[in-house]
Amino acid sequence: MPELDDELMQRFQKGDEDAFNLLVRRHQKPLINFIARFTGDKDNAEDLAQETFIRMFKAANRYKPGRAQFKTWMYFIAKNLCKNEIRNRGRRERYHVDNIVCNDNSIDGNDEDIDLIASAPADAAFQPEIALERKELRNTVQKAIAELPDQYRLPLVLRDIQGLSYDEIGNILELRSGTTKSRINRARLMLKDKLKSYMELI
Amino acid sequence: MNCLQAEEHFSAHYEDTLDYQTLQRFESHIDECQGCEREYSLFREAVQASQQLPQIEPSPSFTATLQQRLTEEELETLSLWQRLQNFFILPKWVYGFAIILVLASSASFLYYDDLFQGSSQSDVEGEFISTQGSDAPTQLPSEIDDRFLPRSFGSVGSAFTTSSRPMQRNYVLKRVSYTTTSTAGGL
Repeated sequence: MPELDDELMQRFQKGDEDAFNLLVRRHQKPLINFIARFTGDKDNAEDLAQETFIRMFKAANRYKPGRAQFKTWMYFIAKNLCKNEIRNRGRRERYHVDNIVCNDNSIDGNDEDIDLIASAPADAAFQPEIALERKELRNTVQKAIAELPDQYRLPLVLRDIQGLSYDEIGNILELRSGTTKSRINRARLMLKDKLKSYMELI
Repeated sequence: MNCLQAEEHFSAHYEDTLDYQTLQRFESHIDECQGCEREYSLFREAVQASQQLPQIEPSPSFTATLQQRLTEEELETLSLWQRLQNFFILPKWVYGFAIILVLASSASFLYYDDLFQGSSQSDVEGEFISTQGSDAPTQLPSEIDDRFLPRSFGSVGSAFTTSSRPMQRNYVLKRVSYTTTSTAGGL
């Protein structure tokens, strides 16, 4: 049975650095995904994920097992770093949604193209139209998510992409349970409205 | 249940967390309202599409880069600590000299403080008596002497000993005693 995050943190607090490495390996993928979906930038996502882990590494002695979940703490730090990054980016240059889509294409677009080329000759059931449709849908969804205001995009990403519970999201965003639920519902309604014209065409 | 109320329950119905009574009302509304039925169908599709977005794989160098950055951070912290330590590593005679200097300055402050306390005490004990219109000769207080005042406070000392300050021109400090009050003629 794998060790719990809290147990690993306790081991790390006692000086076992392998425990921290194990935590990093366990959480790096969801963290990078969260940051990439929230900021819309894969390249920066890895940097910010590393920054998050460095901050956790430095503040490990202040972590109280049982008081807050490791995961909640991690997303809390990452959320603040992402917000700072978005704010700084806004100052540096006006942020265009087109850039986000461009970056999002880089997230899975290249892999998808490689998949399409690789599977075309071998797979008899390969249907390029369906694959392209799927890819287009993903890009449209990513664009629609990127266009949501931060206060709605953040809970939506945490719920529908990261799969966190309402309680965890409430703790990360410092929101009450009712507010968290209504904000997620509102975010999904906004997403539905943005995707409506595209989905009605399909 | 109206359309706006139904819309508020889209997520709860999608996640199957509605209580039985609300569920009945919601589903009966959806059955009756074609607009809400279509909207709810689109809502489900949108949520499913966002939930099915592909996961991004971390680059193979992620862990190694993080490890490197953590080591750099540790070294940076260590070097800062070492720099602080180096700053305080001085020859022993410097520490000795510094201690002597601190002790000497503390002692001189205490000494002068005592002197000032003594002079202010005499101010309290004495009183200013106007000599204007009186025949009594101007008397300077014999208790305060320049010799006992610190050099750095020479100007303050002169205010006590001479009548150079306009405000004190017509006043002299006189010790309260039954013998001298009769001489002053004021009391």
